Amino acid sequence: MLLAQQRQIKGKITDETGVPVPDVSVALKGNTAQTKTALDGTFTITAPNGTVELILTHVSYPERSVSVSGNEVAVTLQQSSRQLDEVVVVGYGTQKRRDITGAVATFNADNLDERPITRVDQALVGQMAGVRVKQTSGLPGRGFSIQIRGTGSISASNEPLYVIDGFPLEVSTQNTGGGFSTGNPLDNINPNDIESIQVLKDASAAAIYGSRASNGVVLITTKKGRSGKAKISFNTYAGYNERVRKLDMLSAEGWVDRSIELINRDWVRSAATGRTADQTTAQRRAILNLPAGTFDVRYMIDDRWTQPGHPGLTYLDWQDEFFRKGIVQNYQLSASGGNDFVKYFVSGDYLDQQGITHGVTYKRYSARANIEVQASNKIKFGINLAPSYSLGNDPGVDGKDLQTHIAASLTPVTEATAGVKTGVDPFLPYAWGGTRVSPVETVKQQTGETKLFRTLATIYGEYNIIPRLTLRSSINLDNSDQTFKRYIPVAITAARLASGQLTGYKRLNFVNENTLNYSKTFADKHNLSLLAGQSYSTFKFDNLTINAGPFTSNDVTTLNVATIGSSGTSTETKNVLISYFGRLQYDYDSRYLVSGSIRRDGSSKFGANTKWGVFPAVSVGWRISEEAFLKSVDKISELKLRASWGVTGNNSAGDYASIGILSSANYNFNGVVVSGQVPNRANFPNADLSWEESETLNIGLDLGVLNNRIFTSVDYYTKRNTDLLLLIPVPTASGFASALTNIGAVLNKGWEVELTTRNVVGKTFTWTTSVNLSHNTNEVERLGPNNTPIYQNGGFDIDHSVLQVGQPMYSLFLVKEIGVLSTADIAGGYPRFGNQEAGDPKYFDANGDKKIDANDRVLIGGPNPKYVWGVTNTVSFKGFDLNVLIQGQSGGYIYSMFGRAVDRTGQGYMDNALAGYANRWRSPADDGKSGLNPKAHSTFGRIKNTDWLYSSNYWRVRNITLGYNLGNVIKGKVISGARLYVTAENMFGKDKYKGGWNPEAVNTNGEDYGAFPLSKGLVAGLNVTF
Amino acid sequence: MKLRLLLYITIIIGSCSCEKQLDQAPISNPSAENFYRNTADFQQAIAGLYQGLHAPDYGIIQFDLSEVRSDNIYSPGTSGVRDWIPINNFERTALAANHPTVSAVWNGDYNNILRANTVLDKLNPTVVPDNAIRDRMEGEAKFFRAFYHFELVRWFGKVPIFDHVATPTEALTIPRSPVADVYTLIISDLQTAIAKLPAKSAVAADRGRATTDAAKGILALVYLTRSGPTYSIEGPGLGTNDYASALTLLNEIIASNRYSLQATYASVFGYANENNSEIIFDMQSVDPGTTADAGLGTELPTAMYEGQYGNAVKIGFAGGIDIDAPKLPSNNLRASFTAADTRDDFSILPSYTDLNGNFINRAQFVKFLDLTKKPLIRFNFPINFPILRYADVLLMKAEAILRGGAGGTQAEVDALVKLIRDRAGLSATVLTGVTLDQLLAERRREFIAEGKRWHDLVRTGKVLTVMAAFDASDDVSNKMNAITANDIIYPIQQNQISVSPGLYTQNQGY
Repeated sequence: MLLAQQRQIKGKITDETGVPVPDVSVALKGNTAQTKTALDGTFTITAPNGTVELILTHVSYPERSVSVSGNEVAVTLQQSSRQLDEVVVVGYGTQKRRDITGAVATFNADNLDERPITRVDQALVGQMAGVRVKQTSGLPGRGFSIQIRGTGSISASNEPLYVIDGFPLEVSTQNTGGGFSTGNPLDNINPNDIESIQVLKDASAAAIYGSRASNGVVLITTKKGRSGKAKISFNTYAGYNERVRKLDMLSAEGWVDRSIELINRDWVRSAATGRTADQTTAQRRAILNLPAGTFDVRYMIDDRWTQPGHPGLTYLDWQDEFFRKGIVQNYQLSASGGNDFVKYFVSGDYLDQQGITHGVTYKRYSARANIEVQASNKIKFGINLAPSYSLGNDPGVDGKDLQTHIAASLTPVTEATAGVKTGVDPFLPYAWGGTRVSPVETVKQQTGETKLFRTLATIYGEYNIIPRLTLRSSINLDNSDQTFKRYIPVAITAARLASGQLTGYKRLNFVNENTLNYSKTFADKHNLSLLAGQSYSTFKFDNLTINAGPFTSNDVTTLNVATIGSSGTSTETKNVLISYFGRLQYDYDSRYLVSGSIRRDGSSKFGANTKWGVFPAVSVGWRISEEAFLKSVDKISELKLRASWGVTGNNSAGDYASIGILSSANYNFNGVVVSGQVPNRANFPNADLSWEESETLNIGLDLGVLNNRIFTSVDYYTKRNTDLLLLIPVPTASGFASALTNIGAVLNKGWEVELTTRNVVGKTFTWTTSVNLSHNTNEVERLGPNNTPIYQNGGFDIDHSVLQVGQPMYSLFLVKEIGVLSTADIAGGYPRFGNQEAGDPKYFDANGDKKIDANDRVLIGGPNPKYVWGVTNTVSFKGFDLNVLIQGQSGGYIYSMFGRAVDRTGQGYMDNALAGYANRWRSPADDGKSGLNPKAHSTFGRIKNTDWLYSSNYWRVRNITLGYNLGNVIKGKVISGARLYVTAENMFGKDKYKGGWNPEAVNTNGEDYGAFPLSKGLVAGLNVTF
Repeated sequence: MKLRLLLYITIIIGSCSCEKQLDQAPISNPSAENFYRNTADFQQAIAGLYQGLHAPDYGIIQFDLSEVRSDNIYSPGTSGVRDWIPINNFERTALAANHPTVSAVWNGDYNNILRANTVLDKLNPTVVPDNAIRDRMEGEAKFFRAFYHFELVRWFGKVPIFDHVATPTEALTIPRSPVADVYTLIISDLQTAIAKLPAKSAVAADRGRATTDAAKGILALVYLTRSGPTYSIEGPGLGTNDYASALTLLNEIIASNRYSLQATYASVFGYANENNSEIIFDMQSVDPGTTADAGLGTELPTAMYEGQYGNAVKIGFAGGIDIDAPKLPSNNLRASFTAADTRDDFSILPSYTDLNGNFINRAQFVKFLDLTKKPLIRFNFPINFPILRYADVLLMKAEAILRGGAGGTQAEVDALVKLIRDRAGLSATVLTGVTLDQLLAERRREFIAEGKRWHDLVRTGKVLTVMAAFDASDDVSNKMNAITANDIIYPIQQNQISVSPGLYTQNQGY
């Protein structure tokens, strides 16, 4: 019933194209009246007489306030000002995008719940300029390595600092096996809970995080409740995923052909005279004096190979047997809503992803509750709680001598009686094959189960001391408990003995932060904001390992039945970080902007004299478009120039790296064990150890044209890392392997472009494109004493990558292979490596000394790509919408160590080889179709050369999502919105990596030696809102 | 209200007084600053010196670097990529380019020298007041320092001398010393050890420790090695004539009557007969059973048997040599044994049957393998590896006399050789007027698989002729490069040369 002083205001809210916007929350300022727009965009609200102000909020538009004096109102919500009014999370606070003076990239997580991805870092591929996500492994649940503006550290971590809802998480480093053995900050975090991600790329934005921010800061904000009616949302998708591609290996027939050639040659050469290639198996048996029916597999072929239909043998393609289509499904239920006193967001999620090979599985259960309570005018408090549990099985597929490697290189011929189960009890391995057991059975039977239970909790309180002065205090806890259980049953081991392993860690990160925030506007033009804060953070890591075997029972998989009992060990480490920080932000009339921050960090990792560091930063901005002379120019809607300088740090040394420690070295005298302690040779103690410093200069330009229909942001930066935490090589004659010292400098320079264009804005059809492109160059400026180059990756032969002053980091250093030696070359005295013959690879004699050796290595490319790009196109037509993301990189190289398994000179016949060998050099007359594949047999040994070097360029269509909004079709009281969609993830693409599956793989000693491939998938899903 | 403000600010400031927390001590490792305080700490440090024999495994190193390279083993490789192939084939580039075995011996031996120097630098009467204990500790540390410098000199020739703990920056300025200087340190350390170490102990828990006789035996070997020919390279032989000094030491060991030959060859290496009367110094191993400590057991047999064989006899996680590059006892070696000789029957297994039922006609060494007492996994073999045994003392004495050491006679040489041959079952054939070549051949048969052959050939001046003949007769696959004098020593690893260019110059020929 209306009172006399009240009236009804009716209104309709549409967007720029005239389409009504439902679900907009309409509130009366200064009053508790509140309503929502219906599906047709209309609303009715009771208001007092006179001019009132309506506050309109909607999740996709910025908050808008409208003055209404009459009884009717029509409002058009605009996307255009969105980019600038958008509130961006920066460290310890928020800013409007138009006021930002640093380099901050934003990712909006709108359709993230429609993509079949397991982790947050997967979502960031190709989305932001300057943020490169290296997809190092295809295993579900395994973390990726993220590089922001290039790699700048050598021995220290290159990963950014992740901050989730204001909680800075302990930085972790990817180990040489491609995993994160101490846990990754993004483990178990449900991508569906994420509202937005901001990346602070330059020092002025990141320096507020001080000594952990030199690799950039990734701020993750999870969904929060808003005032309004409760909105319950159910999202589900299901589909399949499979391998992206295969590795081209010889077919079984190709393998047989090559094996015959090799066996015959070895036979002929096994004695001075009397042995020829056309002797039959029986004749050879006679010459070797072997009992009837026995074989010497080095010199005798399997006669069944040459018989029609190869009776008694199965010819296989192991990769086809090994990979499969796995089912993917996800269910999420969330509720959000609130009123003036309480706002909440609660969600539960279940993900089940079967991997692309048997035995690989990943399941995750997660829940989240973000609740904020406005207890009174002055006091607000809240809790963000997110427990999650993931259960993954990895039977050992990623890396050297693991099952993907075996699936490529295992002999593709087996006894027909054994078939796919070759080598598995009771079958024996094929006599002409290696001794390895079938990878298909191994992944089905071997257990490698990782269980990770993680709880992220933040409790905070804000007290408004006096108007505009707020004290905020938060207590944050991140607890991860992980256990890993491995069980290898009897049947799949060559030695027929079962064994097991149990390892686990507990990772506990506790942070307490207290900040004082003051903001005031003077004389309507001067906006000032001040921040002062203090933080205390501890990180404790406990881990435990037990190995046991052999097992007495073949049915029990836990360690209690292991006969040898267990060998176990446990270790604990801890570090503490104390910080003080402050920031000042000032702008005059939103035209002249200046911001400065400073942070002082003290860490327990560093030496007694060098624990504390100071990290300042300053940035300025000039919104030229607000100046009088440009304000009148309609076409230019936004023009801002910004510049920043700052210093950030990197403190990722070991927790006790500055102290000399001992390790145990036990011995026995006549069976009596005595304990021993010796200096740990890994590191020479250094009491002056300190953090790395990174100095960044950034200049940027933001330009918006035609009412921001075209909006672009361009940045140019130089980032110099000095006092690198460098493990300088020391002569091992000192007894130590290396010494961690602060020395060395690396420079990263580059530019980034982000461009968004709304190509077509129509009533029924819209099309938006956004492009990001970044270019980075990297140069080593200084190394250890004398700047001696540091050679790396010398495993399996000579070093092949180098850190050298004036060159990009990890430049590759190889002998060049330039073809195949012909008989004319040999006759002409072309330089050879060892006793090379015609048909062997031809190497380039770089130093002209007429022989090929390690001194002929030349610098030839590096792993860092020059250009990284991503393009997103969004199209909507009537109720349909289509979103396509394509990304790629170019200019980098990968040197594949997997070549040692399948492509090495002098490789025997048992292991399979790359498909190119079908076109090999066979004789001077038949020198192979490509002129690049040398002969099958060789005896000159090996030297690292460019045959394993491939370009790491690739492009991939990462995501295609086609959806249909059923909202127009379904009208009901219960269901307020529904959407159907189909997503193709990672479906199409191309790369040049013929020697492996994944050009970004890391799984063995920091390189690729048999990577588990990435997956592509197709899912269909439904999103219903109540 | 102002009070509340004050309260909050106090809380903030109060919580800042936790700066003491920035001093964190390691939880899982003792730190060097809090160690080396008393006798118990030093006993642990000394135990760590002995553990160095497992890091890297001394027996495996000797087998791979000495036995494989000599004419005892022919392992050119057929198709595999294995570490020992370049050793056998004299592939110089591969050996210089971060070769795992050569790197392991350089890095490991110097790490052990660091362990010895750490003890010596910190040992003083305040921390270990008991004179007898302190003397023995000094003796043990100097024994090992000399032992490892000697190993390095034999493998590499000129090597940097470390007689104290050096910082990494200091190490960047220490170049390779001339061989003569290295020997000076070795000899002086061993002489101190001889003086300070006790004789063989009756206490069971001390068996395996270095003794004065062990130091004498090693010093005699040092003298014999130094007296070897130079081959015009900067190798372990300096051509000095120290045969008389060697002879004196060896005679002292013999005269002490503390050691004697075992009755049969097999009993010297019996799993149940460890620390027998013939062993003067060895690398101790024990099956750790339930504690599975990496340094307690040894993997030595796995360097000698084929993987297929290991699986066939059910050794847990057998490891072993891959058949694409077998380490075969050479035909030349097998032909050098006569039928009556028990030593090859004990040491070599001529053939076996694999899991497939195939008859494998390849021989392998099984000298340190007792299948009735095999451990559950290959890392835990309990067999000790003899470094110096009495038979070696006797034959070294014969060698010293034949090479001109004053005070010995041909008759003594013949008698010594007869003792060894009789024990091997060859009493039917008695040699008289034993020449150096015959002595060398007898050493070859006696110390088969003990990693002595290469060093024997080098110090007696025979390595070039013998290996050239071996190349001609046994290298059927023609993969071995022709031997030169430069191949007598191994190269400095490339990554060590690059650490500080100019500090180390590479050995000739690499």
